[in-house]
Amino acid sequence: MVDDSAQLYTMEGIAAAFVILATVYLVAGTTSIYTPGDSHITDMQLEVLGNDVLLVMDTPVNGTVNSTLHTNLYEWNGTAFGEDFSRLLNERVDGTSDSLSYNATVSYRKEADGSVANYAFNTSGIQTGYEQAVRVTRLATIPGKPTGAPADFDTREQVVMLEVLIWRD
Amino acid sequence: MERLDDEGQWIVMMGFIVAVSIFFLALVINQATLVGQTTAEGVLEFPKSEIRDLRSEVFTLIDTGDVYDSAINASLHQDILVLEETRKNTIVNYSVNKINMSGTGIKYNLTKLHFNNGVTEYDATVHY
Repeated sequence: MVDDSAQLYTMEGIAAAFVILATVYLVAGTTSIYTPGDSHITDMQLEVLGNDVLLVMDTPVNGTVNSTLHTNLYEWNGTAFGEDFSRLLNERVDGTSDSLSYNATVSYRKEADGSVANYAFNTSGIQTGYEQAVRVTRLATIPGKPTGAPADFDTREQVVMLEVLIWRD
Repeated sequence: MERLDDEGQWIVMMGFIVAVSIFFLALVINQATLVGQTTAEGVLEFPKSEIRDLRSEVFTLIDTGDVYDSAINASLHQDILVLEETRKNTIVNYSVNKINMSGTGIKYNLTKLHFNNGVTEYDATVHY
C-alpha cells in the first residue's frame, strides 16, 4: 500500500522551491548590464556639460558689457574662444584636467541666396573621424561683419550659430 | 494507516504568505532600476538647452528692438529659422507683440515661441 502520510510537507516543499526560484530569478534580473546601446546616456551627460559651458560663456558679467562668447564671435577670435571653452570644459574640482576635446564651427546664413555656410572656428586637435562626439549649439547676434570673417559673410547685423562637437579622448 | 497530522496548519500558511510578500517586494526592486533609468533618460532627452537658447536669443532681440510686428527685422528672423532647420533639423518660430494697456501704464511683450525637433514639440507664450 502506498504511504500517503506527510503530503502537506511535500506540497510545502514544492511551494517553497517555487518561491525561492522566482526570487532568485527576480534578484538576478534586477542587475542591469551596461551595453553599447546605453552609451547614449553618457553622451547626454556630455551634452549637458557642453551646453552649460556655452551658457556660462554667453552670460555677461554685468549689464553693460557683452558676454565672452559674443565678444569672441564679433572679434572672430577662435583662439580666445578655444582657450576659454577648453578651460571651462575640462575643469575639475580637484584641480586636474579632464580629457575632453572639441571642434567649434560657426554657421551663418547668406542673404543673397539664403544658403548656410560654415566656418571652422577652432579645434583642440586633429580628428581621426572615429570620435564619439556630441553636438551642442548656441545662437548669437553679432552687429556686423567681424574683421577676419570669410569673404561671403554678410555685412548686416545677423544671428549666427556656434556649433561645438565634444568628445572624450 | 497512520493518520495525517493536520496540526499547526496556520504556521505553514503564514510562512507561505510571508514568502509571497517578499516575492512582491523583490518585484518592486526588480522594476526600480528600469523605471529609474527610463525616467532619467526622459529628463535628459528633453531639449531644455535648445529651447532656452532660442528663448534667450529672442529676448535679446526684443531688448534691441528687432522683433516687433510693425518693425520686424526679417533677416534676423530668417537667420534663426534657417540655421535651426539646416543645422539642427528643428522647426522654430517666434512672434512678439508689444502690449501697452491703456490707462494702466502696464507694458509687456507678448512673445510666442514654437519649437519642434521631431521628438519634442514645445509652444510657449511668454509675457516678457
